[in-house]
Order: sequence, then structure tokens, then C-alpha cells
Amino acid sequence: MKRIVELTINGEPRDMTVETCCSLLDALRDDVGLTGTKKGCDVGDCGACTVIVDGQPVNACLMLAVEAEGRTVETIEGLQPGVDVLHPLQDAFMRHGASQCGFCTPGILMMAKKLLDDNPRPTDEDIRFGLSGNICRCTGYTKIFDAIKSAALEMEAARS
Amino acid sequence: MNINTPIEEREFKIVGKSVKRDDVLEKVTGEAEYTGDVKLAGMLHGKIKRAAIAHARIKSIDVSKALAYPGVKAVLTHENVPRVLHYGSPHPRSASCTKDQYILDDKVRFWGEGVAAIAATSEEIADEALDLIEVEYEALPAVFEPEDAALPGAPLIHDVGPGGNLVLDPVRVNRGDVEAGFAQADFILEGTFSGGRPHPAYMEPNVCIADWDGSNKLTFWTSTQSSFMVRGILAEVLGLPLTKVRVLVDHMGGGFGAKQDCFQHEFLCALLAKETRRPVKMEFTRHETFVAGRARHPCRIWLKQGFKNDGTLVARDMKLVYDSGAYGSHGPGVTIVGTTAATSLYRCENVRLEGRCLYTNTPINGAFRGYGVVQSYYPLDIQMDEAAERLGMDPAELKLKNVVRAGDIAPSGHPIVGHGLEICLQHGIDVLDWKSIRNRDRTPDPKRPHIRKGWGTGCEMHGSSAYPGIKEQGNATVKVNEDGTVTLLTGAAGLGTGAHTALAQIVAEELGVRFEDVGVIHGDTDVVPWDIGAFASHTTYLVGTAAKMAATKVRASVLERAAMKLQVKAEELDLTDGQVFVTAEPGRFMSVAEAMGPSRGIPAANIVANGTYEPTKSYSFAAHFTEVDVDMETGIVEVKRVVPVHDIGRVIHPIAAQGQIEGGIQQGIGHTLTEDYIIDKKTGRSLNAGLVDYKMPLSMDMPDIETIILEAAPDPGGPWGAKGVGEDPIIAIGPSIANAIYDAIGVRFHHYPITPEDILKALREKGA
Repeated sequence: MKRIVELTINGEPRDMTVETCCSLLDALRDDVGLTGTKKGCDVGDCGACTVIVDGQPVNACLMLAVEAEGRTVETIEGLQPGVDVLHPLQDAFMRHGASQCGFCTPGILMMAKKLLDDNPRPTDEDIRFGLSGNICRCTGYTKIFDAIKSAALEMEAARS
Repeated sequence: MNINTPIEEREFKIVGKSVKRDDVLEKVTGEAEYTGDVKLAGMLHGKIKRAAIAHARIKSIDVSKALAYPGVKAVLTHENVPRVLHYGSPHPRSASCTKDQYILDDKVRFWGEGVAAIAATSEEIADEALDLIEVEYEALPAVFEPEDAALPGAPLIHDVGPGGNLVLDPVRVNRGDVEAGFAQADFILEGTFSGGRPHPAYMEPNVCIADWDGSNKLTFWTSTQSSFMVRGILAEVLGLPLTKVRVLVDHMGGGFGAKQDCFQHEFLCALLAKETRRPVKMEFTRHETFVAGRARHPCRIWLKQGFKNDGTLVARDMKLVYDSGAYGSHGPGVTIVGTTAATSLYRCENVRLEGRCLYTNTPINGAFRGYGVVQSYYPLDIQMDEAAERLGMDPAELKLKNVVRAGDIAPSGHPIVGHGLEICLQHGIDVLDWKSIRNRDRTPDPKRPHIRKGWGTGCEMHGSSAYPGIKEQGNATVKVNEDGTVTLLTGAAGLGTGAHTALAQIVAEELGVRFEDVGVIHGDTDVVPWDIGAFASHTTYLVGTAAKMAATKVRASVLERAAMKLQVKAEELDLTDGQVFVTAEPGRFMSVAEAMGPSRGIPAANIVANGTYEPTKSYSFAAHFTEVDVDMETGIVEVKRVVPVHDIGRVIHPIAAQGQIEGGIQQGIGHTLTEDYIIDKKTGRSLNAGLVDYKMPLSMDMPDIETIILEAAPDPGGPWGAKGVGEDPIIAIGPSIANAIYDAIGVRFHHYPITPEDILKALREKGA
């Protein structure tokens, strides 16, 4: 049975027509056409599908699309503050080589955004703990840690 | 042939700089298109029915209920697909493949093997219809361990091959006189070693899409490291000319070697699309990525070596047994490479090696970063530590004494050009003040008395090509456009390593233009020059040299054109930063854009040149120094710090090179301590085919890694001396951890993964 779900995605009101069994991940990818959010396992193990729903990071594969009714969803496609302007995290990921194959990158960027929104001056341990639900198999995480630390400093400098 | 001119020394403008990777911009914005993101009008979804038995003959298969299920458009079984015996990894320039598989057979050889395929209007319908396929099996006795498969009278898994479940005839290497070597030895060490079944576990599950057009041409999107190999094998098995198969791959979510087979689902996807005349997408679940993907070959190794009291190695006798799983895939290549690799690393004149590879009724093992060498260097390096202890020597010093030197015969049969390993080891010893680490106070920290600290070293060397097993060919086409911009066409895959950026850097440097002015076209077999695939750590070495050769040619043509316009001789000109100028008179110049564009009486130009390179081999080297904490109460080993010292020749993109090393260390830590894809020895069933039960090191587990890259031994075969880096780090880290554990708790482990259970059991036996 299909249902219409009304929600806000990346600041814009949207509606999606989805089967009740459809995950938010499949709805975003197949119905809305936002394929930046990736499917690495579809069972909540890898974090590649991390999006932010009402300010909380969630594995989009574990949330039903119908549960997103009336909620606000942020995906990687909404991370850029403007056309041709990158979020400091995006720029830092490029500079530091924090993305190799890139399949985990959208999920990690969304998780990192949430981390820095909540905690602008994270310690190394905060960053490690913050990313503990996101699998990256290419980088050894070292460059990801560097990029997040660097973005945090830049964001701090921009604020002051 | 290798280019054997001396390595040009120059001041680099672009090479050696960590320029921004273009492909990464798309990745951080979510715009990068991976195969699974492609959606075609009218696309169906394919699913595979997998056997729940490890070894059986199919007595009957009834698909009538599945076909009648609403939304199902086609069902394929062994009764209605072409029966063509084919290779799993048909590298067209390799001599070591085994033709042992059909698209679908009337026999099942491992638990999880595909026996039928369905195309339906949705993934859910296809999934539901799988349960309606009725298969009746006649169970056959199965074998799950290579030792059992080798026994006389063991059930035979294949009719092809040398027999006795061997995938290929045993690989034997003999150098010198081993018996005479042992006769000279002051002492002999002998041990058995074994390795588990680590899985590459790339983040993007295997996925492909097939679409046929009215002219019977197949367009095929697939996440592959070897698009031309997929084109070749699809064409061969489906009976098509190469012009009728077009393979497309833009971004891919990792592969680590394992995405260089042509997989069963790829044939089935193409055939379902043909049958239904609609595009079909087939996407693995994570579970399928384990079951029907490719893992590293489990191994059993027996190693006996003779030493003199001064530490000289005088004899090495080694027997290796690799478990191929149910099909040959890369079994022959891994056996040959892994076995011959053991001629080297630590020099020894008298060597006798025998490598075997056996079929078992387990999931297929294939290519994976470190290709057979991870297995064979683990015992070599650990036994070197054991010898050092026996001699009362520092293991790093003993290794330093025995590491290969320039001129020694490499596994490939060629003299080694550079000897970066000695330099890497010495550098690590110096920067760490290794002697003081060895002689440190070993009293446990009173605040954490259950923790024991240990330090270990591990060494490795690895080729920057697959030569001589595969005679590679690298190709590149470079075009200088009429506005002075440059287009590089390459077949090299974009696994995520940054290869395309490195290739663009090489072209920009050689041609003398800005990096930003070089665009890279890849991933379309109808457009780009033929490519062997991205594997064997060879893309920068192989395709980089081809790209440099093509750039040299277009540079000469650009200079000739500028000479005509500036009314001087081409030899009088130089080209840098996109400006052509008279060398003796730098005030006279024009941009490449002006040289290429129209001027009075001279139409605009396009310049095209190709580079083709067939290398032999160079070797990269590394020594890893690793610190671990072993918890005596839980048995948990924590890797605290790794100092990897690598020689990779000329570095093209430092951050990308470091990224390869650090990612390889992450995977190697997993292989050594936690990762093992477990197959039940009674049924052949997978026990941990998922990312929670298959334990990989994640953000909380990563040590501090202080990567050191030395341009110690550039090789004339690569662009300005560049060599490979992709596979090296995963080889050295393993033995360095095992040796560090010994240093911490005084217990030797000869296997991987070394689990907390293993450590607690060993400590109990030791009475600690």
C-alpha cells in the first residue's frame, strides 16, 4: 500500500509517494532522486546512509519513510551552504585526502556535521567516538580525523 | 620492455604536490555517480537464488510458480542459459588462469552459489519469487579444508584441472642446494603457520546494470576494477564481438583487488536483460557481498630455515597450501605470486619452495591487496624474529643484515634495481631510537598492571606490476585542445586511490601545463584506450609511464606549432606553466592556448598522441614498527602506534600515497587481530557474513600512524622513478603485530587472526 509522506528535505517542503514498507533510504534514493546517501549494508551496520532527521543522526536504512512524515531531513546534498560554496568540512575532506573511494563519505560528513554542531571543539576522543558507527575501509580514518579537526578550527575562527 | 634510461632529475611543479583531487569534489557533495545510483527507464531488478547446500547435483529445478508470480518477468536456470566453460579472472595477458566455471551449472560447489536468477519489477517481488523456485538436490560429500581435499579418495569438486582437487600443478621453485645449505647451518628453525579468510569488505556492494539496444549491443554498468576484462569475458561467453559490449564504470566504492573477477551475477544480469528486453539492475546485499564476493585465500604454511651463528640464512625450505574455495578465480595467480615471493625479502642462496592450491566446497577466494604475499611473508618475518631471539640479537638488526640488496635476484627473476628495504629499516631504527625501545624498562605501569607493552617490526617488498605472471600493457591518449586545455583518456579504473589525479599530474608536469588544465576521461570501454585493469599496485607505474610517453609526444608537437608562430626553431623553445618561450630570450613567449588557437593564415589545431608501455618490474619496500598493548585479563590486543617506513620511489601525490599506506594498515590490523570470514566446517555455511559479526577496525580502534615515505630507490621503469604503493602496507603490518605481541607477553603465534581467546588460552598454557 502506498502513502504520501510530506516532509522537509534540505530546507524544501517535499512529498514522497512510498510503500509503507519502504525505508527512508530507498525513498530518498529512488523516489526523491537524492542518491548521495549510500546503501552499504541496508541493516544499520555501516553508517553510509547517515542523514540528520530533526537534528539527530539516523541510519536512513533503519527508518521507515512513513516515519519521516512532518519531519526535517538533511542529506549530503544539503550540506553546501550555497552553489559553489563548500561547507568547511567538505573543503577540509578534500584538502586532507579524507575521502578515497568516497562511498562512506556522505554519511561520515553528515555525522561530522552533527558532531561539530553539538561540540565545536571536539577532542580526538570525541571525534573517534562520534564516528564509531561509520565504517570507512579505505583511509584508516587518519585523514578523516585530520579533516574534522581542521574544519573545527576554521569554523571556530570564522565565528570569532 | 622497461625504460632503462637514467631517472631525470628536475625541479617539479606539480609532481610531488598534494593537488586537490577533482573526483573528491564530487564525493564530498554527493554528486559522484556510482553504479548503484544509475536508474534507467523501465528498469527491472534481478535477484539470485542461492543454494543452501555446499556440494550437490541438481536433480530438478521447478520455476513455474516463480514465473507465474505477478511482476516476475524472467527466470533463468542452468537449463536455459548458454553453457560455456569460462575463466573467473580472464586477464587476457596472463598465462595462469583456470577455466572451470559455467554461468549456471547443474552442480553446486559451495553454500550460497547461485542456481537461478529472477528479473522482476521490484527488488521485493524478485526476492519473494526466489522462495517459489523449487530445487531438488542430490547431496554430495563435501570438503571444507584443503588438507581434506588433497586426501586420496576425497570428493572431486571439478572435472577439469590437474586432478586431486588441485587448481593448478604444484608451483616449485628451486635455487641453489637446500640440503647443502642445511648442512652448513649452525641451527635450524621449523614451524607451521596458517592464515584465515579475511574479506575485503569494500563499502560498495557489487552492482551492475545491463541494457541491450536494438542492434543487439550490450551496455553494461558495473563496479569493476577491470572494465576491459569484463568486456572481453562477457563478449566471449555471450558470443558477441567486442564492439557489441560497452562497459561503463564511473566512481566505484572500493575493490581492494576483489572486483577484478567477472562474477556470476554479471553474466546473469546481462542474460536477464536480454531475455526481457528491458534494463536489469542487480545489486548485492551485504550478505551476498561476502558469500558471492571474493576473500583472501586461507593458507597453511610449513617453513624450515637454516641459520649460521652470525645470523646468515643458509637454507629455506617452504611448503604453502592455499585454499581456493569452490572455483579457481585467482588461485593460480595467488599461488604463483605468493610462492615465488618467498625466494626473496630475506636473502638466501638455497631455496626450495612448493606452493599448492586446492579446491574446497567454500566460497570463492580471489584477488585481494597483497595477493598471496600477505600469506607467505608472515612466516618469513616471524621466523626471522625467532632466529634473532635464538641468536640473542635485536630482530631489527638481524633483518637489516639479511634484507635483499640491489642486484639480488627478485621473485620475478630480475636483479633488483633499488634496495629501499635496508634504508627503510635503518631509518625506522634511527628515528624511533629502536635500541632504547628494545632496552626499555619493562615493568608494567602500576596503574594498569594487567597491560603488557610490546614492540615489533615487519618487513615487506612488493612488485609494482604483475610481471612476469601477467605481461601488462599500459595505454594513454593525450589530446591538446584548441584552447590549450588537455584531455587524458585512460582505461584505468577509479577505485578511489586517486589514480586519475596522479595521471593528470604526470601529464601536466611532462607537458608543461597547469594541473587544472588537464581533464581526465575514463570508464567507458568504447572511448578510452584498452586497459588491463587496476591491480598489482601498477596504475601509477604502468599507466603513468604510458601517459608520460604520450605527453612527451604532444609536447613536441605543441613546441613545433609555437615555433612556427614565433618563427624560431622548436629546439629553441621551452614550455612551462602553460607558456611557451624562447629559452634564450624568455621575453618572447606565447601561451599554449595561443599556440593551439587560430592566427592569421593558421587554423586552430588539435594534437593527439598515444603512449603504450609494457614494463617488467620494480619493487617497493617497507618496514613497519608497531607498538601494542596486550591486556592479560581480556586477551585484547590494542595497536597503539605504527611507524610505517616506505620506499615507493618518486612520490606523485603525497597525501594520496599516505592514504594508501594508512588504509592498508587499517585492513592489516583487522586481518591480524579480528577479521576472519568463518565457514562452518560441517556444512560449509557462512557464519559471519555481515559487518557486525565480521569485525573490522573502526575509528575507535585505529592507532596513531606516523607515516614516513622515503624516495629511497626510484625505479627507472616508472614515471620519474615512481613505484607502486597500494599493496605494500597490508603485508608488513601483520608480522610486526605478531612480533610485538611476542615482545609483550612472550608467546609466539603462527597464525592470523590472533584473537583474544587465542591469547588467553596461550597465557593459561604458559601458566602466566
